[in-house]
Amino acid sequence: MSIVIQTQKLSRSYETYQRQEGGWNVVKGFFNRQVQVKYALKPTDLAIEAGQIVGLVGANGAGKTTLLKILSGLICPTGGEVKVLGFNPFDRKADFLRQISILLGQKAQLWWDLPAADSFNLLASIYGLDKAQAKKDWLSLAERLRCTDQLHTQLRRLSLGERMKMEIIGSLLHRPRVLFLDEPTIGLDVLAQKTIRNFLTEYVNEYRPTIILTSHYMDDISQLANRLLLISQGTLVFDGALSEFVRYAELQLNLDIKSEETNFEEVIHKFFEKESGGGQNRHPISN
Amino acid sequence: MRRNLAAAKIAILSQTEYRFNFAVDVVIQPMVSTAIEVTIWMALLSGMGLETLGGFGRESYLAYALWATFIGRITTSWMYEFQMMEQIDTGRINGLLTRPISFYEFYLSQFMGYKLICIVFSLGLPILACWIFSAPLHLDRLPLVLLMLLYFLVFVHTLSFTVACMAFFLNRIYSFTPIKNLLIWVLAGELIPLDLYPEPIRSWLLLSPFAAGVYYPVSYLTGRIGTEAFLQSFTGITIGLVVTGLLARVIWLRGLRVYTGTGA
Repeated sequence: MSIVIQTQKLSRSYETYQRQEGGWNVVKGFFNRQVQVKYALKPTDLAIEAGQIVGLVGANGAGKTTLLKILSGLICPTGGEVKVLGFNPFDRKADFLRQISILLGQKAQLWWDLPAADSFNLLASIYGLDKAQAKKDWLSLAERLRCTDQLHTQLRRLSLGERMKMEIIGSLLHRPRVLFLDEPTIGLDVLAQKTIRNFLTEYVNEYRPTIILTSHYMDDISQLANRLLLISQGTLVFDGALSEFVRYAELQLNLDIKSEETNFEEVIHKFFEKESGGGQNRHPISN
Repeated sequence: MRRNLAAAKIAILSQTEYRFNFAVDVVIQPMVSTAIEVTIWMALLSGMGLETLGGFGRESYLAYALWATFIGRITTSWMYEFQMMEQIDTGRINGLLTRPISFYEFYLSQFMGYKLICIVFSLGLPILACWIFSAPLHLDRLPLVLLMLLYFLVFVHTLSFTVACMAFFLNRIYSFTPIKNLLIWVLAGELIPLDLYPEPIRSWLLLSPFAAGVYYPVSYLTGRIGTEAFLQSFTGITIGLVVTGLLARVIWLRGLRVYTGTGA
């Protein structure tokens, strides 16, 4: 298997400033801002093989989205090296962009004022796809996601679930080799989540893309991913198969796992509880 | 080219989706502006008891006012500049940064598409007004004027892109657009024909690329200047385009380095 994503000591820090409350501090802050440097991603080594479905899990602000943004070329790393499909993502070469796709669950990427069908036609032109074939593809994807009826409705008039289905079609239209899915089921009802999960499972089996998936719904991760990356406060704390995680957590994270039948989702929740309870210990990646 | 045409088509579809807003923007607003400007010029000339001003008569100023507001509308960029700022400020730019089309190119195509449809829908108004008021008009010069205007629009878009890229550093910069447009209107001669300014201001203004936004095309169409003088504006636009283009590139590349992909 070839490596499609590789990072060495990849990191990203941000400069932010803080201002105390109150009118006088607004005036002070206007002239003198106290800049702070924060690490969203601490030096990270990673290698992902072609065809792997990687679940990237962590609490809010852990660094998941930052990692996805760097890998997709949206933001520039402040340290280390990264290669995706042999390209430096931040160069954003057209050949690279034609082979990847990123879906940001919290951010609409299609055109708000247009029906999705118009957006798909535009995307087909941007990616240089055959128009007739592209139409056949988006119609087929819409059928599988059960949203054919909404294709000609303005995006702004669709429900969140319907909109997300359109976003998924838009991100898959050019059949990317690497797909970054950032919380694709966020805010959706159980039925819509299930439809999207089942659709992605079918898609993965058919086209075998490499996927990095982040989600706060562990059903997404357990159904789709065959490898788990656990990230906490900008540091990868676990990298391995889902089946290994429960055993690893028990042994190395000192979590209180009572039953032998404890499942992956419960262990993740326990891990988050421990983390939010002030656990400051960082654990090295075991494998 | 196919993607540019597709983006231009999307602009036309998006803007005509909201029909009332489109009609106000393309037809009603230029009509109101024209009425105001014509009234001011006619009142000024009558009030001062002048038959000519700067060597040009009432009809000439009437024609200038009719065309200046129309062409000034065409060469003003605010909607797509605002959209570019908003995209950077809110992080919606992510949707374009990960596609094989540049942000500049995408919005240039949209901008040109929209301006093209604006021209198609509103060009008849100043022509009709000139005919009704018997104001001087050289219709045979219109194709060359429109070509030069399209070239000027590339410069205008580059300027807008440069301003919008400041959002990478300052986030909320929506107040920049009206100030920039006001300055351009003055420098382009929309409010006062540039040949009325005293020397050496007049010469400097005529050399600037902004003069090609209103003064040169309107003066050429209404017979105030000849072809040779009009073609000088090509050089001004080209210099402006090169300078703004370099500036835009520097700000864009630096902006991307500090961009944090806000809100996603």
